[in-house]
Amino acid sequence: MLRRFRLEEPGSVSEATELLGRFGESAKVYAGGTELLLAMKEGLVQYERLVNIKKLRLNEVARDNGAIRIGALCTHHQLEQSALLQQTLPALVKLENNVANVRVRQAGTLGGNLCFAEPHADPGTLLMALDAKMIAEKGGSKRAIAAQDFLVDAYETSLGADELLTAIEVPVPAPRSGIAYLKFGYLERPSVGVAVAITVNGGTVSQARVAVGCAGPAPKRVAEAEALLQGKSTDEATRNLARAGEIAGKASQAISDLHGSQDYKEHIVGVLLKRAFQAALAQC
Amino acid sequence: MQFEKSVDIHASKEKVWSFIWDVDRFIACVPGCKEAKTVEAGKRYAATMVEKVGPFKVEFPTTIEVLEREELSRIKAQASGADNKIGSRMKIDLDVRLQGDTDKTTLSFTAGVDILGKLAALGHGIIKRKADQVLDEFAQAVKKQLEGDS
Repeated sequence: MLRRFRLEEPGSVSEATELLGRFGESAKVYAGGTELLLAMKEGLVQYERLVNIKKLRLNEVARDNGAIRIGALCTHHQLEQSALLQQTLPALVKLENNVANVRVRQAGTLGGNLCFAEPHADPGTLLMALDAKMIAEKGGSKRAIAAQDFLVDAYETSLGADELLTAIEVPVPAPRSGIAYLKFGYLERPSVGVAVAITVNGGTVSQARVAVGCAGPAPKRVAEAEALLQGKSTDEATRNLARAGEIAGKASQAISDLHGSQDYKEHIVGVLLKRAFQAALAQC
Repeated sequence: MQFEKSVDIHASKEKVWSFIWDVDRFIACVPGCKEAKTVEAGKRYAATMVEKVGPFKVEFPTTIEVLEREELSRIKAQASGADNKIGSRMKIDLDVRLQGDTDKTTLSFTAGVDILGKLAALGHGIIKRKADQVLDEFAQAVKKQLEGDS
């Protein structure tokens, strides 16, 4: 049963952040509502006010100075359908195509997904491997937060209580880049997700980014695994995959739960890392 | 969920033992614990436990009952409480042991933690990790308090 709350309807980002600052913990941003309203109906959270930001027109996908700027209010469905994303970031389109179910994809927003920071969510992991930046606004000021600094813990982000996530900026991948996100699970949400983004020049992996998610409290970039791939020939990087997988497994901070034991999840990270690297390499 | 923790404290067993029974000082070491009071000295205490994971906050009015007590060496206790707003219950079976000599005491404890109700929707893994963090912080806070005294 949903308890009574007051719906605030700000007309601008500044108005929204002013409301968030004024009402503090008694107010919460309302976008798609796919996670928030469920938690409220269950009585797990209670807010006196919801700040409805649906009318703020933060739902465009556009190219902007070498990056793709995704409005925080873009729904998963909108991202699945975006011609620009299909052309520039097909891995993100594929991910969005497999987020939750069709009802969630129609209403749920990318920004909401990131801000709720549910540990088993997919997008954060891939966005880390894509070196994405989260654009946070408050009043007239704006700051960019790297994806790996944004998602800090289970259900926790580095977004200030009076800041609003307005956009996600993803650099357009360099030529000869390959990107893959793979996940595995047997429940409603994935047990493990692994993202690999590489660029290959002259048979050498000139850049490698690896991120793991879902297994632990929050997605993580794995610099030590990246170091085993980056600057190496594709053959050497391929030989290093088993070690990189072990390292990424440990880095995932896997937790034993209904989705699988810690050992099992760590093993799956290794398997997915290998497959994701091979899938990414095939695109280069 | 079972947890085992141990911390070495540079203080005598007597000092550690008397600290445990000093409710105000002891409770200050339990993260999220407030409004502690003695219901029946040495037997029953009451407190409110407040914990937070992201936007989810629980507040358990808790009763702590001392089940067994062996002077200077062991305490068995049970803490239980319910958050009726969220519809969740908590039960902790605590077995605390003290070993050591005049200079150093090893405070070890096992805690069997059960969380029931809607809070479980957050996921067993998340709750387990949070409980583990709380117990680690508690052990370190006790050490800091006692070693800070000397």
